[in-house]
Amino acid sequence: MSRAFDAIVIGGGHNGLVAAAGLARAGRAVCVLERRDEIGGMAAEGAFSDGTPKPRMAHLLYNLSPAVLADLDHDRKALFETRALPTVCLDPEGGHVVVAEGRPHFADGAPHPEAGPYHALVSRLARFGAILARLAEAPPPQLAQGMTDLQGLRRLGTLGALGWDFRRIGRDEAREFLRIVLSNAHDVILDEIADGPLAGALAADAVRGAWAGPRSPGTVFSLMYRYARGGGAALPMGGMGAFCAGLAARARVLGAEIRTGAEAAAVLVEGDRVRGVRLADGSEIAAGCVLVAAGPMTAMRLAGPAQFDIEAVRRLRALRAKGTVAKVNLRLRDLPEMPGLTAGQMAGRLVLAPSVARVERAFDPVKYGEMSEDPVIEAVIPSLTDPSAAPKGGHVLSAIVQYVPHAPRGGWTQAGRDRLLATTLAALDRVAPGLSDRVAEAEVLTPADIEALTGAPGGHWHHAEMSLDQLLAVRPVNGLARYRFGPAGYYLCGAGAHPGGDVMGSAGRNAAAVALADGVAA
Amino acid sequence: MNARDTSAAGLARDPVPAGLIDGPFHARLAALSQARAWYGWAGCAAPVVLDQVEFEYFAIRNAASLFDISPMHKYRVSGPGAEAMLNRLVTRDVARIAPGRVGYVVWCDEEGMVIDDGTLFRFCADEFRLCCQEPMLGWLEDAAWGFDCTVTDESEAIAALALQGPTAHAILKAAGLDLSDLRPFAHRAPEVGLTVSRTGFTGDLGYELWIAREDALPLWDRLWEAGRAHGLRAVGHDAVNIARIEAGFPVAGVDFQPAQAAERLHRGRRPRELGLERLVDFGKGHFNGRRALIKAEAEGPRFRLLRLDIAGHKPAQGALVYHRKRKEVGHVTSGVWAPTAKRNIALAEIRAPWGTGRADDLWAEIQSCEEGVWERRMMRARPQAGAFFRPARARATPPADF
Repeated sequence: MSRAFDAIVIGGGHNGLVAAAGLARAGRAVCVLERRDEIGGMAAEGAFSDGTPKPRMAHLLYNLSPAVLADLDHDRKALFETRALPTVCLDPEGGHVVVAEGRPHFADGAPHPEAGPYHALVSRLARFGAILARLAEAPPPQLAQGMTDLQGLRRLGTLGALGWDFRRIGRDEAREFLRIVLSNAHDVILDEIADGPLAGALAADAVRGAWAGPRSPGTVFSLMYRYARGGGAALPMGGMGAFCAGLAARARVLGAEIRTGAEAAAVLVEGDRVRGVRLADGSEIAAGCVLVAAGPMTAMRLAGPAQFDIEAVRRLRALRAKGTVAKVNLRLRDLPEMPGLTAGQMAGRLVLAPSVARVERAFDPVKYGEMSEDPVIEAVIPSLTDPSAAPKGGHVLSAIVQYVPHAPRGGWTQAGRDRLLATTLAALDRVAPGLSDRVAEAEVLTPADIEALTGAPGGHWHHAEMSLDQLLAVRPVNGLARYRFGPAGYYLCGAGAHPGGDVMGSAGRNAAAVALADGVAA
Repeated sequence: MNARDTSAAGLARDPVPAGLIDGPFHARLAALSQARAWYGWAGCAAPVVLDQVEFEYFAIRNAASLFDISPMHKYRVSGPGAEAMLNRLVTRDVARIAPGRVGYVVWCDEEGMVIDDGTLFRFCADEFRLCCQEPMLGWLEDAAWGFDCTVTDESEAIAALALQGPTAHAILKAAGLDLSDLRPFAHRAPEVGLTVSRTGFTGDLGYELWIAREDALPLWDRLWEAGRAHGLRAVGHDAVNIARIEAGFPVAGVDFQPAQAAERLHRGRRPRELGLERLVDFGKGHFNGRRALIKAEAEGPRFRLLRLDIAGHKPAQGALVYHRKRKEVGHVTSGVWAPTAKRNIALAEIRAPWGTGRADDLWAEIQSCEEGVWERRMMRARPQAGAFFRPARARATPPADF
């Protein structure tokens, strides 16, 4: 055995780095093991063949937890810089809508007729989202008792046990919250505003990363999560790589060691207590505490099913994680025009979701293992905001394309990838004519590719579907929901744990806090 | 056509049999059945009693008995990962069950509630057979996920007979099977295709014989022939049930609710609550329900299954049990007049703390109807530490001849 650590974090994605920083800040000797040669996981940076950087998978920060940033001292000494981007709801008919600070107007400056109702809806989502956001900063409520005795079930009935603190909102608001929280985004959005690009973009935000359409139950819950902090998006200057590097640098300053190219092969358990990690090269590192930022199934396999109850393994096997998001990264020789948008507006978060109905229709094919012909796209051109994004000239366009199956019939082939690229370019060409002629280099990552690169189960954005049966006290599964994962000293700190992914960092922060509360030996 | 109309079904293919089906020994049992009393045991027609329960009980205790245990569920677990898989399943340490040995085991759900009990045969390093009362294939397949082993349901393929009683060994010898050095809880294959284990459910000297279903009837005939001079009788459930209560063995579904068959909250019972804590090895590493059981150990048991010696002679089956004749503290799960022990005995579940520490001043409320008149009597119930019937001959190796 080499030098012993107090704790080992498996996986150098953002949650792993946040967890490591949290443990290091408390004075624990921490080692992060990252299988790949670069840190970042799904937020890792990549590069085109000419060296131009690209946001390989995740490309924006929507929901980074302020509590995580405060813990990292980001306020006093910035780890990275971001620029808030307005949202541009693209309309193939040309009626683009720009949303900044929750207020929509047409791209040509004309007032939007539904600016009022939209603002009211988004404000309400933010107020309700704040209830969920507070919940995200702590381990999920414990329902073990609630599920097995009558008194617990009664408590559950009041929802007080869920930690939903209604005292800050009035009775009417609480009633409205309960009316919509389990319902679907389609109904809630279209109750307030007419269908069109503005409504479509909201619907797209409700389902991004999910195996769900706007009509799927539970999508309002996701929408509240996303809009808890206003629904804005921020571009990290220097790319997602700078964001990850900032986290890693902070963790190192606090004393954490980060090893790349170090693949954990097994978590060693003795007498129902973790005692270290065996690496793929056969070496072992001793530690009484191990946190895993990988998917829940991977975390279970690392320690071995023998360390878990049969019911727990059965639930983990049944966990739903079917990624629907593909990533298309384009290096452009130069920028096409987008009729109706100024160059400044093109720098925004471009959402191609012309209506709620079309988002729902785009979801249909993926149910049958096929990709959308008319996909929902969130694109960003970082080189319009950040000069360092295309240092050699040209531009970079990063597109999140939905819905794309994780396992199409017959598996992924080159022809399938080509078709995905062609479909994406055709969709973008409709709002930016001539874009496809300007592509110098393209990268296509299917959900299966994302799984292969990051280990994320099913290539899923959240490691496990954020559906109502896999949330809060039952995330990832009933009985393993509070980060403690089987043997003593073993924790899940990735997106599969509460409160999920979205580059929040909360899962990593909360897991580290639970581990410290359990007493990580210093 | 009505979905239940099966008149034409047989023309195309064999219909799924309706009602109880015949077990592998049915031809012999049916010929012996004077009582024509059958009950369903795992879908098979099994004898409640064949002749008279008294004759059959005294054959078990004073001579020898033959009881068809084929309806028991039997699962083969084989492969390099079989030991690890079973060690995660059951509460005792499977590594300590040597090849050629049989272990009495229980297994629990994640809350530490007993799912079932049974006997685990170890044939070699990576071959086992688990015999139990409840159907368990789905659970075992879940338990085997991630382990390098396979689970095969042998319930249909393997026939089994329990040969129990003081002359059981003499009968085996007369049948040409020399097993005089077979110790309790050992098993062996004296002939190809036949496994004999020194196990049973009567607390006395006895054996269980395991054979392929198609060879079932010749085995019966061979034992029957050998048993002529040794008082061998075929017996039904009722006689065996008296013997097992005397021996103090709990039965799933009678003395406790198997966790997976209990739909209501808090109906499950932990091993300690059934008096089976000796089967739980907390030191062997993780097993299903271990974490919950460790927590429960700190809290103490909520109940205890006690053996009660009850005054009088009226069987206490179903009786409520009171403390100081006033406070209801439990109930009898199995009660019977024990002819050999010559006592009125019962297994009873008593709540804590009456069942766990202060098991004094307990009374069973026995209701009986004599020729149309109901009587209710409080009878003194005294907990007893050991089995009501536990003869030295059950463990003697070699067994004495009778």
